[in-house]
Amino acid sequence: MKKYLIYCILFFSCFCTTAQKQEKLFEQSYALLDSMLEDKTAFNFKKAVFSTENAYLNGKLDTRALNKNIAFYTNLAKSIVASKTLVYGEKDRETVNKWFSIFQVMCDTVPFYLKERQYISKPFGYDFTDVFGHQSKESLFVSKLLTNHKGNCRSLPYLYKILAEELGVDANLALAPNHVYIKHKSERHGWYNTELTSGIFPIDAWIMASGFVHVDAITNGVYMKALDNKESIALLLVDLANNYNAIYPENDGTFVLKCAETAIKAYPHFGTALILRAETHKKQIEEEKDNQVASKRFTLLEKEYQHIHEIGYRNMPEQMYLNWLVSLKTERNKYENKNLNTINKK
Amino acid sequence: MAYAVNVEIKNPRMGKNTKRLFPTLIFGMMCMLTFGQVQMPKTPTPTNFQIATPTQDITPNVVPNPLGNPYYDGQDRIRRQNEQIIAEVERNEQLLAQQQKQLNDDIAEFNNNHINYSLPSYGNIEGTKYYREVFEKLNRTDPNKFSVKDLNFQIENAFYENQRDKAEFDRIIKNIGEFITAKMQELNYGPNSNSAKNFMLFQFFSDTLKLKNGTEHLPFKYDFEDYMGIKDYSKMFVTKLLATQTGQCHSMPLLYLILAEEINAEAYLAYSPNHSYIRFPADSGKWYDIELTNGMFSTPSYVLQSGFIKSEALQHKIYMHSLSNRQLLSQFYTDLAGGYIAKYGYDEFSATVIGKALELYPNSIIANLTKANIDANRLQYVIQQLDIDPSIPEERDKIRSHPQAVEVLREADCQYNKIDNLGYTFMPDEAYQNWLQSMKEQKSKQDNQTIKEQLKGFMDKKQLKN
Repeated sequence: MKKYLIYCILFFSCFCTTAQKQEKLFEQSYALLDSMLEDKTAFNFKKAVFSTENAYLNGKLDTRALNKNIAFYTNLAKSIVASKTLVYGEKDRETVNKWFSIFQVMCDTVPFYLKERQYISKPFGYDFTDVFGHQSKESLFVSKLLTNHKGNCRSLPYLYKILAEELGVDANLALAPNHVYIKHKSERHGWYNTELTSGIFPIDAWIMASGFVHVDAITNGVYMKALDNKESIALLLVDLANNYNAIYPENDGTFVLKCAETAIKAYPHFGTALILRAETHKKQIEEEKDNQVASKRFTLLEKEYQHIHEIGYRNMPEQMYLNWLVSLKTERNKYENKNLNTINKK
Repeated sequence: MAYAVNVEIKNPRMGKNTKRLFPTLIFGMMCMLTFGQVQMPKTPTPTNFQIATPTQDITPNVVPNPLGNPYYDGQDRIRRQNEQIIAEVERNEQLLAQQQKQLNDDIAEFNNNHINYSLPSYGNIEGTKYYREVFEKLNRTDPNKFSVKDLNFQIENAFYENQRDKAEFDRIIKNIGEFITAKMQELNYGPNSNSAKNFMLFQFFSDTLKLKNGTEHLPFKYDFEDYMGIKDYSKMFVTKLLATQTGQCHSMPLLYLILAEEINAEAYLAYSPNHSYIRFPADSGKWYDIELTNGMFSTPSYVLQSGFIKSEALQHKIYMHSLSNRQLLSQFYTDLAGGYIAKYGYDEFSATVIGKALELYPNSIIANLTKANIDANRLQYVIQQLDIDPSIPEERDKIRSHPQAVEVLREADCQYNKIDNLGYTFMPDEAYQNWLQSMKEQKSKQDNQTIKEQLKGFMDKKQLKN
C-alpha cells in the first residue's frame, strides 16, 4: 500500500513538473518576444516564431531539422538570384531579385542540380483542412508547413518573412480580415502585394472589395498596413496567447492579457489583439462574483468594443473568408496587379 | 585632370641642378669609403641621393658640425637640403593648387552665370497679372472662413483676364438658391434639415425639378468631350457648367459646394483617383457619397472598386476623405496654379502658388502631382542648358560636376518619392472612363435607389411629424 502511494505521488508530481515546464516555456517565449520589442534582444523572426511553436508543442520542436530545412530553401533562393532570371533594372534590383527568388521557391516548381543529379522543388500547397486551427493550433505552424509542405495564410507568409530574413532583405507582413499577406515597396511599382496562398500579386481592391474591410479600418491601419518588425512581433504575441488558451482553456486570463497588452502597446490598432483583450475581460467578468464590480467592468468592456468598432474593425464570417480567398483564383484577371508583368507567371 | 599637370612641371628642373650636385656626390662617396668599415646605423643608399638631386641648392651658410666629423657633417647637410627641397616642392604645389582652384572657380562662375537654375518667368505677359492679383487675395484669405463662390469665381476670372461679370454670376447663384428653397417649401421639407437640403441639391443636379409657378430645371449632363480640359482648360469651370449645363468631375462638385454655401447646407469635397465627389452628413450622423457626374448616390465600395486606390492612399487620407476648410483653400491655390500652367506654362510663380497649397495641405495629391510636374520641367530645363542627354548613362554622370543642377535633380527625385509614399498610382484615362461607366451597372443602380429611398423615407417621416 505504501509503495502504491509513493508511486502515486511520484506519478502526480511528474505530471505537475511537466505542466509547470510547459507553462515556463510560454513564459520564456513571452520574455523573448518582449525583449525583442524592448530592443534588449536583436530582432530575429525565425527565433521568435519557433519559440511560440515550441511552447505549444511543449518543447518538442525539432529546431535542428527545421533550420536545416530553412537553410535548404535559402540556398535554393540564392541560386535563383545567381541565375539572374528577373528582368528588372532599377536601383533596388538586388533586393527585388531576392524577393522574387523567395516567391519562386515558395510558389513555383524549381528544378535544381545536386551532385549532378536533377531534382525538383515543388511549391508549397494550401491546406484546406483546418484553415483556422480549430482542431489543432499546429495547423497554423511554420514547422508543420515545413514538414507537410502544405500551409495556410499564417504559416506561408511567416515562412516568407523568415526566408527574407535569412537572405538579408526586409519583408512586411500585412493584415486583412482573418488573413496575412506580404507587402513590398520597390522603385518601379511603389507598394505592391504578394499573396502566397494562391501565388499571385493582387491589387488592393481585392481586399477592399471583400466587403468586410471598412474604409476607416484601412485609414487607421487596422488592415492593409505594411507592418514593421515590432508590429510583426505583436502578431506572434497574439498567436502565443491563443496557443496558451488552447492548452489551458481554464486559465484565469492573466497570461493572455499580458500578451494582448504588450501586443497592443507595439501595435495600437491591432484588431485581433483588441478583440482578444476584450474577450478575455468578458470571460473574467462572467467569473466575477461581486455584482457591483462586474457591472462596473462591463461598462468598461462596452467602451472597449465601441473603440474596436470605431477604428473600423469588423468580423468576417469564416465561410465568407474561404469564398473570398478563392475569388483570387476565379477572378484573377480582375484582381491581378498588371504592373508586375516582369514577375507574373504567364 | 588638373593634378596630373603639377607633376610634369617639376621635371625640367632636374637637368639644371645635376651639375651643381657633383661635388656633393663625390664628397658623400668619400665619406662612405673612409667610414665604410665603421658600423654606422644607417648608410645612405644611392637612391637617397637621387631623390635629393632634383632641386637641391648648395647653401654656403650651412652650420658646420661642431664635432668636425665629415660624415656627420655630410649627412646633416643632406638632411637639411632635403628638408628645404621638400618645403619648396610643397610651396610650389600649394601655389599651383591655389592657381588651379582659382581657375576652377572662375570657370564655374563663368558657367553658372550662363546657366539658369530656375524656370524662366512668364511674368512679362500682361495677362499673368490677374493671376498674381488672385494669389495675393488668396494669401489674405482666412483659411477658416471664406466664400467658395467668390474664390472660385476669381480663379476662373483670372483665366478670362477679368472679363467676366461677377454681379451676373452672383445673380445666377442667388436664383438657383431661391429655386431650391422654394422647392423645399413646396415639398414641406424641414428648412433646417441638412439631409433635406442636400437631397434637394442632389435632385437639382440629377433630376428635372419643376416649381408650381412653372419654372423648371433640367438635370446637368456629363460632358465626355475633353473632360480633363487638356485642349480647352475652361472645360473645368463652373461658369462653363452654368452656361452649357454640361460639366465634369471638377466643375460639378464645385458648383454643388457653391450652392450648398448659398442655402447653408453642410457638404464636403472628397477625392478619388482622377476624380472628385461630394460627401455630406445626414441628420442621423451617417455620411452619404454623391457622384454628380452620374447623378447617383455612390458607396465607398464603388469608389474602392476603381482598383487604383492603394491602402497607403487611405492611410495618408489622400482619397475618400472630406476636405476641411483649410484643405479646400489649398485646393483653390492648386486650381489657380492649374489655370496658370494651362494658359502660360510652368514657371517659378506657379511653383510659389503650389508651395502655398502644400503649406495648407501637405498631403494634397493634386498639389503634389503639380509640384512633381514643375520640378520635372525645371530639371529638363537645366539639363538642356548643360547639354546633357539623360538617355545616355555616361552623360547623366556629368550632372555631378554641377552642384546646383544636382540640387534640382534631388528635389525632383524627392517629390516623386513623396508621391509614391503617399500611395498614389497612375490611373489611365480608359480605366477612369470604364469605372465611371460601371456605375450604370445593375448593382450600383440598386444601391443608388436604396439610398435614395432611405433618405426620402427619413424626410417623409419628418414631414409627418411636422
